[in-house]
Amino acid sequence: MARSLEVLLLDDEPIVGRRLKPALDKIGCQVEVFENPKEAVARIDQKEFDIVVTDIRMEEMDGIAVLEHVQKKWPRTKVILITGYAKMDLAREAMEKGVFDFIAKPFRPDDLRRIIASAAEALGMPIDAASPNDETVAE
Amino acid sequence: MSLLDKLKKIGHRETGIRDFCIQTIRFKKFLENARALLDLFADGREKVLGEYIFDRHYVVTLIDSVVDRLGRMVYDASVLVPESGEELYAAYDRHKLAARNLIGSTPSAADDAVDPEYRLLSDVLKWFQGTENTGNISVMEFMRQTFFHVIQGLESNDAMTRNQALFDKNGLHASDMGIYVIDLWKDALSPPSENRSIRDFNSIPLRHLFMDSGNGDLEKAGPKANQHTAAWVAAVSEYQLSLTTLKPNFRFRLETLASGYEPSDFIFIFAGPNAPLDKIIPDGFHVERTNYGQFAWSLSITAKTIEDTLMIIGRNLFDESVRRMQ
Repeated sequence: MARSLEVLLLDDEPIVGRRLKPALDKIGCQVEVFENPKEAVARIDQKEFDIVVTDIRMEEMDGIAVLEHVQKKWPRTKVILITGYAKMDLAREAMEKGVFDFIAKPFRPDDLRRIIASAAEALGMPIDAASPNDETVAE
Repeated sequence: MSLLDKLKKIGHRETGIRDFCIQTIRFKKFLENARALLDLFADGREKVLGEYIFDRHYVVTLIDSVVDRLGRMVYDASVLVPESGEELYAAYDRHKLAARNLIGSTPSAADDAVDPEYRLLSDVLKWFQGTENTGNISVMEFMRQTFFHVIQGLESNDAMTRNQALFDKNGLHASDMGIYVIDLWKDALSPPSENRSIRDFNSIPLRHLFMDSGNGDLEKAGPKANQHTAAWVAAVSEYQLSLTTLKPNFRFRLETLASGYEPSDFIFIFAGPNAPLDKIIPDGFHVERTNYGQFAWSLSITAKTIEDTLMIIGRNLFDESVRRMQ
């Protein structure tokens, strides 16, 4: 049996983790949620995640720094950035640093599930992005 | 001619037409701001119903945007009906305070089951739409009242009489249609020196409105019959049309922008309470009927749809059966 996709979810707004964890659990991901970037980075040092989903704008450490840290420590890990602002300069910087994709707040859990499915495909670990309760299959 | 010379010329040749043009353009801005408020409300409602992931920043930005747009709408209204300005600004101040209270509110422990961001957004929507239990007037109701102030000012008999005299004095009859036509940008600077035909105006919506009615009743009631029988005024630019009746017993106003840029294009109609609106507009409009009058609008539609709709409206509006009711 194939192992589950390991996902680290980091956002200093508690609502994001609270709402997204169940949505990602439903498609079979093993999700660890963090609100504090330093604690998340410490966990990343201990464990190789398949996917890291992080907010770009946080007080103690921004998403770009988290991206850099992940790329240095685990080059295989795919990083997805959550952004509340359409900032071209940040987007360009993140692209240069190898971010897998962006998602802009507000978004629906399905939107992130689709991006995670693409990242899983790129890792050679395809998943079905539609939750078992969904009637329709994600595009 | 330098810009300064042009400005001097405008200053010396003030005819009143410029004020009318400015008022028409300001009313379009007023509608744009009202539309933006409706879009903000729809966006917030979609986020709540669609189970979106959003943070407090989104909700605070939404509140700020509502306050900003509401302020612009009140400003527009105060320019259009200065006598209502004080009352409208007082009500606006109350909404600013309500917005500040929403942003400053802290969640109570009893509501732990609901995410605070969702609860805040839900409160914002209640502020916007109102609830049965809310004593305070909602944003939507305030918008409605502001509309009434503006429409009452623009459609008053005094305003109609004043405008009619202005148009006659400045020779603004279109020679072939028995209708006053004003080029919003050109005539504001320099009134026409000779009679013009509808075909002389470069206005896409105007052309479509009269596409199927050019040989009908309007022409029969044209200036050749009587210089003072014009019952309609059309203020136009390339993409804009503002059509108003000057008949005291038949209130009708149509505003449209058909630029091809969908997010800003629209058709808005105001008609008196007894006007046969169903016989004039096709399906697809959002219609609200009040004791004061009927409001109908269609937003986010393509320029092609607007053009087709204008052809239907033009045909219906000047159709004999509707004309008998006017």
